[in-house]
Amino acid sequence: MAAPGVFKDRTYSDPNPLPSSVPAVDELGTTSAPLKSASFFIGQYCKPVNDDFMLCKQENQDPAHCLKEGRKVTRCAAELISKLRENCLKEFDAHWQCLENNNQYFHACRKVEKELNSCVFTKLNLTKSIPGTPEGMQQIHEKKNPLFGPLTK
Amino acid sequence: MSGQSSAGPTYTKAAHGFTQDMPPKGGYANVPYKRNLPVRGVSGAVIMGTTALICSYGFYKMGQANIEKRELEREKKWSRIWLLPLLQAEMDRDIYRREQAALAREKIIMSDVPGWEAGKSVYNTQRYVPKQIVVM
Repeated sequence: MAAPGVFKDRTYSDPNPLPSSVPAVDELGTTSAPLKSASFFIGQYCKPVNDDFMLCKQENQDPAHCLKEGRKVTRCAAELISKLRENCLKEFDAHWQCLENNNQYFHACRKVEKELNSCVFTKLNLTKSIPGTPEGMQQIHEKKNPLFGPLTK
Repeated sequence: MSGQSSAGPTYTKAAHGFTQDMPPKGGYANVPYKRNLPVRGVSGAVIMGTTALICSYGFYKMGQANIEKRELEREKKWSRIWLLPLLQAEMDRDIYRREQAALAREKIIMSDVPGWEAGKSVYNTQRYVPKQIVVM
């Protein structure tokens, strides 16, 4: 059920800009597939600022409370995305377009992902690693013959 | 009468003039009363064993697939976790912008009501409570 006071026949828009007391930051504007493609690199590259922001949110849920930390988070992500585009544009594009075409399943795009990962490792020194993988088990994106592959041959 | 031989029955003249019906020479053939079930195909044990083997292979594969699925699920969850601060920060800025605009509106609208505190929470708490009503 919608919260009281929500009218769904109108778009939730408000043209008023942010108060000038708040420094402006360009929103990322990246859509879901590129974000998903870059997510593990964002997680690794921006870990300090992200942790800072989440600890701040834990302190207080008020949106006004963590605006400064939030700006840092957005700037960091924007920086990483632009770095990705500078260094590995071809691989990055191939991977996120594959995700876009395959229901955003990681397991459907391992081939292009491997190229992206190796490019990012050599150029930016970032590695994708999934936390919580059981002891002694291979990371799922590095598995040799996975049972779940591309959706179409 | 399946037992009669091709030679035909033999007859013996009895004293009273009647002819006694006798079994054929050499006697009747055996009546096949025993069950006749020839072995057809492989034994039940083999069929059961093969079925069990195929099933165990299938269950093994299913187990492997379940493990892999679990890992894929973890991968998906972590990719979302890594994006959470970013999306939250963007959302927070937007909510803050709308709240400030709503506060400014409220100040103007309620300016001639004495004792009105614009932006005062209806809840008796210091904790932030998301707005229930949005003016569009």
